[in-house]
Amino acid sequence: MTAPHPTAQRPLVQVRDLKLHFPIYGGFFRRRIGEVKAVDGISFDIYEGETLGIVGESGCGKSTAGRAVLRLYEATEGSVTIDGVDISTLSQEALRKTRPMMQMVFQDPQASLNPRMTVAGIIGEPLDEHTRLSGAEKLARIYELMDAVGLNRDFANRYPHAFSGGQRQRIGIARALALNPRFIVCDEPIAALDVSIQAQVVNLLEELQEKFGLTYMFISHDLSMVRHIADRVAVMYLGKIVEVAPVSRLYDAPLHPYTEALLSAVPEPDPSLEGTKQRIVLKGDVPSPANPPKGCNFCTRCPKVMDLCRTVKPSTVEVAPGHSVACHLINQNGIAGRTGGHEAEHNQTHNQQGEVA
Amino acid sequence: MFTFTMRRLLLAIPTLLFIALVIFLLLELSPGDPMSDMPLTIPPEVRQQMRLALGLGEAWYIRFYKWLYLFSVVEPSHVLANMTGYDWLRVEGQRILSFQTRSPVADIIAQRLPQTLWVVGLSYLFGILVAVPIGIYSAYRQYSWFDQAGTFVSMVGFSLPTFFTGPLLILICSICVGWFPIISDTTLVVDSWANFLKQLRQMAMPVFVLTLYNAAQITRFMRASMLDNLTQDYVRTARAKGMTERIVVLVHVLRNSLIPVVTVIALGIPTIFTGAIITEQVFRVNGLGALLIGAIYGSDIPMVLTLSVVFAILIVLFNLIADILYAVLDPRIRYD
Amino acid sequence: MKRTMALFGAATALAMMPLAAHAERGASGHLNIIYWQAPSILNPYLSGGTKDVESSSLVLEPLARYNQNGELVAWLAESIPTVENGGVAEDLTSITWTLREGLLWSDGTPVTSADVAFSAEYCMHPEGGCAQAARYQDVESVEIVDERTVTVHFSVPKPVPYGPFVTAQSPIIQRAQFENCTGARAPECTDANFYPIGTGAFRVVDFRPNDVISFEANQNYRDPALPHFATITFKGGGDAASAGRAVMETGEMDYAWNLQLAPDVIATMAQGGRGVPISAFGTLVERIEVNMTDPSPDLPPEIRSTRAAPHPVLSDIRVREALSRAIDRELLVEVGYGQAGRPSCNLVPAPPIFRSDANDNCLEQDLDRARALLDEAGWVVGADGIRVRDGRRLTIDYMTSTNAVRQDFQALIQQWWREIGVEANLRNINASVFFGGDPGSPDTFQKFYADVSMYANNFPGTDPEAYLGAYRCGFEPRPETQWQGENINRFCDPAYDALHLQLAQTASIEERGRIGRELNDILMQNYIIIPLVDRGRLSAHSNTLGGVVLNTWDSELWNVAEWHRL
Repeated sequence: MTAPHPTAQRPLVQVRDLKLHFPIYGGFFRRRIGEVKAVDGISFDIYEGETLGIVGESGCGKSTAGRAVLRLYEATEGSVTIDGVDISTLSQEALRKTRPMMQMVFQDPQASLNPRMTVAGIIGEPLDEHTRLSGAEKLARIYELMDAVGLNRDFANRYPHAFSGGQRQRIGIARALALNPRFIVCDEPIAALDVSIQAQVVNLLEELQEKFGLTYMFISHDLSMVRHIADRVAVMYLGKIVEVAPVSRLYDAPLHPYTEALLSAVPEPDPSLEGTKQRIVLKGDVPSPANPPKGCNFCTRCPKVMDLCRTVKPSTVEVAPGHSVACHLINQNGIAGRTGGHEAEHNQTHNQQGEVA
Repeated sequence: MFTFTMRRLLLAIPTLLFIALVIFLLLELSPGDPMSDMPLTIPPEVRQQMRLALGLGEAWYIRFYKWLYLFSVVEPSHVLANMTGYDWLRVEGQRILSFQTRSPVADIIAQRLPQTLWVVGLSYLFGILVAVPIGIYSAYRQYSWFDQAGTFVSMVGFSLPTFFTGPLLILICSICVGWFPIISDTTLVVDSWANFLKQLRQMAMPVFVLTLYNAAQITRFMRASMLDNLTQDYVRTARAKGMTERIVVLVHVLRNSLIPVVTVIALGIPTIFTGAIITEQVFRVNGLGALLIGAIYGSDIPMVLTLSVVFAILIVLFNLIADILYAVLDPRIRYD
Repeated sequence: MKRTMALFGAATALAMMPLAAHAERGASGHLNIIYWQAPSILNPYLSGGTKDVESSSLVLEPLARYNQNGELVAWLAESIPTVENGGVAEDLTSITWTLREGLLWSDGTPVTSADVAFSAEYCMHPEGGCAQAARYQDVESVEIVDERTVTVHFSVPKPVPYGPFVTAQSPIIQRAQFENCTGARAPECTDANFYPIGTGAFRVVDFRPNDVISFEANQNYRDPALPHFATITFKGGGDAASAGRAVMETGEMDYAWNLQLAPDVIATMAQGGRGVPISAFGTLVERIEVNMTDPSPDLPPEIRSTRAAPHPVLSDIRVREALSRAIDRELLVEVGYGQAGRPSCNLVPAPPIFRSDANDNCLEQDLDRARALLDEAGWVVGADGIRVRDGRRLTIDYMTSTNAVRQDFQALIQQWWREIGVEANLRNINASVFFGGDPGSPDTFQKFYADVSMYANNFPGTDPEAYLGAYRCGFEPRPETQWQGENINRFCDPAYDALHLQLAQTASIEERGRIGRELNDILMQNYIIIPLVDRGRLSAHSNTLGGVVLNTWDSELWNVAEWHRL
């Protein structure tokens, strides 16, 4: 892990109690009849130069959170401060002017590139808007960026459809880099790519981070990839962060039952160990974010559910420096002595492999 | 692209021949007689003589062959000669003659074309000019009052047929208020401001009726296409780049949304030429639509056949143009 | 009727007002005429359509024509030739016409007898397909006597020799213009057919087929003070309703031709106050033709609806009479034609000398008499109210062309017939098929695959000889004649034929009138034809247009030279 100790750094991004509720309209007059709590009060910091991984099942709100952080969605509540600027209260125009600082790499490289613009157009467009480069300078910058992401300069005048998935994602990255951002949200940047290409793209992101001193928020459901790239990891479930910890801590000693379940589903690269691995299989479906459970969001599926969980929402507790958990188990028991015992409690779910999402 | 175009053009020839034959046979088999307009006081043997004079005495395949020859060789030569001014291009001899007027069909079409182009063409143009901005804004502000109002108006334009809106407008604007004439003066030559104003006044109602109808259709298309594109990821990318909303909507979204709309518009262009049969009838705009319907009533076989085949050619041609436009506008499409 | 006469009177008086007489040519300015059927060609010899004949009558003129009373008046001729004045030969085989002196074509050249002779030659050319060939029937030759005189020789005695060169249907055309356009070349002369040179009050400036014609005053017109109007826009196309509206409601147009509209519609339009409807009666009679032959589809096609198969029901005169008695003609007029119709009991309703009054009992609807006739004929009322005889229901197939008024009539008559126990199956057929005469179509009025059919017919001019001649034996449509023929009813009575022959040989007008009435009465009293309505012509003119004299015997525009602005 390349990141220095978090505390030595100042936080570049501070997210406080961010909520994003999508209204649901219905009925004859299209009145508001409810809301989908896609992101329901999350708080975290991202330190300069580090990579924060966000993991969770699909539908847990991690992509929405990423977009809300960059204010591509208007947050319902909460604040996002990036490099000291509270972007949640900026006017649209002022926000637009701060966009060069924060960028995003999208999940679907095909859909996120305008099919009617050439590569040069896609990469160069933000330069038109935010800089005053001459034509030649702009072209030079475009070539520089294409070089940086490993694209052949000759392809500058081609359209996105002429490229492969990996190349398209490189275009997306080059575009994100065009304005020298400090913070990039990578929203499942490798999910749509072939496995063989995924590593290339992740390595490229790491190289670029080193080269340009970037700060990443890396959203993914691929736990092994996150383990590879992230410094710290936040686990989301149903719009809330249930556990945040430095990557080694989280993977080695997860505290939240949901984190445990997630980690148990990661395929074991060593086939000899694969057979011995015990999987925690969660039962039931994720509740609708429009109608989350009353107590802990995870109480409907938690293998260690207690009565308390069904009525009271757990608060987030920092159990160790940089390691916070929101679980009643932790609040009651502390962490001492629990690492040894938890496996025995899951015995009933053994040998039901492959059913964890 | 060139080979594609050539191949399509060549393939169109048998299609058009088949269309011509089908139309000819339909006309041939349909009951009705060019003499049915004539008063009953004309005795049967005179009618028979008149029929023979129209060339109806010959077998159908000979008549079809003759027509085909005239249509594909003689008439184009006259059209070409008229356009270039080189008289030597003309193939002398008989031309396709209308039963009703006994004059060359092509001359009458040439005479009627401007009126149709002015009224129907202008309303198509206005329709597009009105529809595109409304469609854009409706989609951008989906479910806003503007969108709701636009949807209402376009539903009205869609569902009220021109034979209803036309007479309604005549009743209100001509008979009650007296703003516009109900009979269009097709001999009017625009040579002064007064005449220009007159021309505007007589065109106002038919153009309005047709504009409403055309705009209704195109607005729906534009709106749907914009909505499709507004939710695309690349729009979010553009916003993330920090582009202004104007650029996001008018450059990114609009350009992509226009691809299907432009092809729909191109496909609709032949209908300008076929004229708005009903509207032309209602407002006495004697354009091609009125010509066609009159020819059908009068069993004027050469006129109906020629017009229908010309329309068929236009439709085939504009289908091809729409396909080519699609490829030009959308870099993802390639014909090879 | 009285009202019509009053209108005529007023109009005639206006036309003769001194004010109009000493106005200068063109002083009335511009005239707008609308015909809801648009003219396609301005050569009446190539098109028999009324719209074409009437629009060309602004330009082309005959030697003589009929006035509003159906009287022959000299037009380009000096006078009407008769046996009395020596213009018609004693043996009725020739007629000699003399042109007025000093007549000029609109291009300034003189009109000569060569032009007159040429007009006949043009129409009589066997390959020309002349629409007015019937007017030149039996013409053997047209002899040029001198510059201004021609003699028409007929192959048979012609008691009424006023076919050639009379009425707007057979005008004089200019030889110089049409010389190279005879026979098969006729349609190639588009210029001549669209811009004929004539002697009429106007000349064509711009002709747009099936759309609009612009005319201007003919500077070489024989009366230097006429026409009053300098220019005319003759608009064509659309429908009768909007034409009427344009004259009576918006005032855009000055004259609208032949407004075949429901009486209440006309009344509403007249309230517009900008114009008035005018009407006049001719010889057009809406009638039900009775099929004397069996149209049963069970018969082989060569026998069906031919005289080989007499009609099993309608051959009985009592049934035919009952059908006629059951009809309330007053109500039909009220519903369908209003001002433009009156009940008729005759096939020949005019001119007065040919109008019989022997059949006027049909004016009164008499259902009891109708029922009695059917009882007498052995038709007994069945359980459902429909009469039956020998197991056959009294059902009648009733065919007509598609037209709102005709469908109203069908419904009314169906109801009356129902009241006397006759069931009518209604059918209406698109006019272009019904009147189309296509031998391949089963739905033409000639083929008559129905028991009765309803339409209107009239005769040109004032003499019904040819019209009445249609009902002779041998003139019926049948397979051998490709279903062409005018004896639609397939009526055949040797006595009728003999009487008609007598008519053909009679020259005295009184005697002709007597025979004509008698022929009419034979048809009426046999109930071969059930006349319904004497249909007049209803047109409308603007309140500011004077001089209009509606004429049903010739072109409505016959006296357009005298029309003027009030």
